[in-house]
Amino acid sequence: MAEPEHTVESKCETTEEEKSSSASSEVVIGIDIGTSQCSVAVWNGSEVELLTNTRNQPLIRFDVPVDNDIPLGEVNYHLSHKHERLSGASILNMKRLIGRVDTDRVVHASNNFPFLVQTLDMGARPFIAALVNNVWKSTTPEEVLALYLAELRIMAESKLKRPIKDVVLCIPVSFSRIQLTRIERACSIAGLHVLRLMPEPAAVALQYAQQQQHMLRDNTGRVSKRIALVFNMGAGYCDVAVADIDGGVTEIKALSGSEIGGEDLLENMMRHLLPSFDKLDIKSMGLLRVAIQEAIHELSREESIQIDVDLGNGSRLCKEVKREEFEEVNKFIFCESEILIVECMHSANVNVEDLTDVIVVGGCSCIPKIRNLIENLCEREIYKGMNPLTAAVYGTALEGALTSGIDDPLGDVDLLTSQVTTLGIGIRANRFEFVPVIPRNTTMPVHKEMIFTTFKDNQTEALIVVYEGEPELEDENHLLGYFKITGIPPALEGVPEINVGMDINASNELSVLARVIIPGSRQPVVPVMELKMPTVDDGHSCCNEVLDRAYGPTLDSMIVRRKNHSI
Amino acid sequence: MASASSALASLTFSSPHFMGHKVSIKEPTSMPARVHFRQLRVSAACASTAERPVSHIACPSSLYEVLGIQMGATSKEIKAAYRRLARVLHPDVSANCRNDAAANEFIKVHEAYSTLSDPEKRADYDRTLLFRPRRSFSVSVESMAGPTSSGFSGYSKRTWETDQCW
Repeated sequence: MAEPEHTVESKCETTEEEKSSSASSEVVIGIDIGTSQCSVAVWNGSEVELLTNTRNQPLIRFDVPVDNDIPLGEVNYHLSHKHERLSGASILNMKRLIGRVDTDRVVHASNNFPFLVQTLDMGARPFIAALVNNVWKSTTPEEVLALYLAELRIMAESKLKRPIKDVVLCIPVSFSRIQLTRIERACSIAGLHVLRLMPEPAAVALQYAQQQQHMLRDNTGRVSKRIALVFNMGAGYCDVAVADIDGGVTEIKALSGSEIGGEDLLENMMRHLLPSFDKLDIKSMGLLRVAIQEAIHELSREESIQIDVDLGNGSRLCKEVKREEFEEVNKFIFCESEILIVECMHSANVNVEDLTDVIVVGGCSCIPKIRNLIENLCEREIYKGMNPLTAAVYGTALEGALTSGIDDPLGDVDLLTSQVTTLGIGIRANRFEFVPVIPRNTTMPVHKEMIFTTFKDNQTEALIVVYEGEPELEDENHLLGYFKITGIPPALEGVPEINVGMDINASNELSVLARVIIPGSRQPVVPVMELKMPTVDDGHSCCNEVLDRAYGPTLDSMIVRRKNHSI
Repeated sequence: MASASSALASLTFSSPHFMGHKVSIKEPTSMPARVHFRQLRVSAACASTAERPVSHIACPSSLYEVLGIQMGATSKEIKAAYRRLARVLHPDVSANCRNDAAANEFIKVHEAYSTLSDPEKRADYDRTLLFRPRRSFSVSVESMAGPTSSGFSGYSKRTWETDQCW
């Protein structure tokens, strides 16, 4: 939300050191795709270098106009006037819409965008279109993101003077696996290969770990063992992590996240100041959006400000807004972010006294209310050694260097981060219950198994339906895929063993295995099923309902979780 | 996959050979267990499985041995041991790129660590060590700590391409 603070680590041309260190291996760039702005960074052999666009900006607005045959976005082409950006021909905020269906709250909250997001509330993709010469031209979030990423790649290639293929991206904690595959798809359209998708606060923790390691080496650090809480709130998402850092190894203990952010603050303010704002036409909407966005930024510095904006068509908004008013209108959002912190510390089994540092980053990190509530909650001052807007991209560049196996004779990046799963993964069993096989906050890579059994006598088939989410939030869980096991030998209910294995590798790829075993024999009776998930494309209501209709009531293919047993 | 689970069977049955002095060995040694074990690990899914080095912790007798520490180790020592091993075995460590064997070992090491670093789980585990039935150690772990990685230990993951999700 804040205006970019230009802190460029290094803008120098390729150094000798860089040439020698990167010649041996591929260069991996780190990209932070923000809801409102993006950044690219690379490890140049001795430090992280932020790459800038042609106008020397390290933070590049996410804005893709669709009115040209050859797309020229904000990356390398300056959209000179606000009007040009907000005329309806330009698409933004794709990070909030990617991989979501039209029943999603976030998609519904997108009616203040200066382009078309049409929802039919049937669990399908929303219709997204830009207004070009009075024609709505349809597009998809993947397509827009791919165009944008391709531009970022070209920018990086021209800066680094070499082809770029591999990339580490940071993603919000609350992203589902369906959303992750959409991001991967956009990357592959843009000619990029994703090495890692890193949760944003984990990337921030990695930069922190590197700083601590350097301080220790320079003998300015106090102790090597630290527990840090990272709070990252941007325009679209709010994420929290607790990281345990000791001797270069960063263990992410727990993550929590939600799709609340600056966009919600903005929407609440728009509704508060102009309750009928959704009746505005696209142009007026764009103008109102910019004016209120600027006002929110101002309110981080001033106690009260004057909004005066001409919305065209003879209407005008002229109002004084106080900081307390802004805080009151967004009470719920601030409360929600507090809950995320408490939840994360609870999952990590960490108390306030255990924390060494509290790191607050992201576009919303300068909002006084946010800083106050975190300082009160964590009973300490906020860590100062980090640029809140580039911390995440810095971490992805470090991770890129680490996973690509760079030469590091000086031990500058002698670091390791172990990641955890952001959502639980399990199957439907015990009639309609979600049984997690891999719980949330499990260290990756991981392999877990759980044994299920048949629901009735002589059951020969079993339906395995894989979901991602939490047991208590059954309705919000995402369907990842389903398959049927056939050829179970006829036996009494509860006798055949259906062993469901789930495997997540270090690149966060999930595969699901199922094998059927009859007690007394160790060989699977039918070939083992193995699937890479997600296999479904949407993971939402449509498919779920069809499955329920076809298999739910008959219970023919149900399975139940087997109680503790020994083989 | 059939061969993987037969590898599991042989792993379970042959495990007493690796257990060392703490466990009384009942079954007579009938065959060179290690050779047998490696042969069975070759799976149709991935021919390279055969070349994978069989590590010293492939068949450990206790979670303490997985981490290479004594039974009476302090929580500090447990954590230090885990971190030392993580720095070698974690798939992000450059030398281990695309090395499934290292990833499998990391999973085992992490499981040992997550049991032993939790005082309650550790106490439960120590009890099972004392009263452990002679046969098949892996089962007692499974029933105690819930799902574990023992079952598919010989299973090798394919490297998936992004475009396979199209």
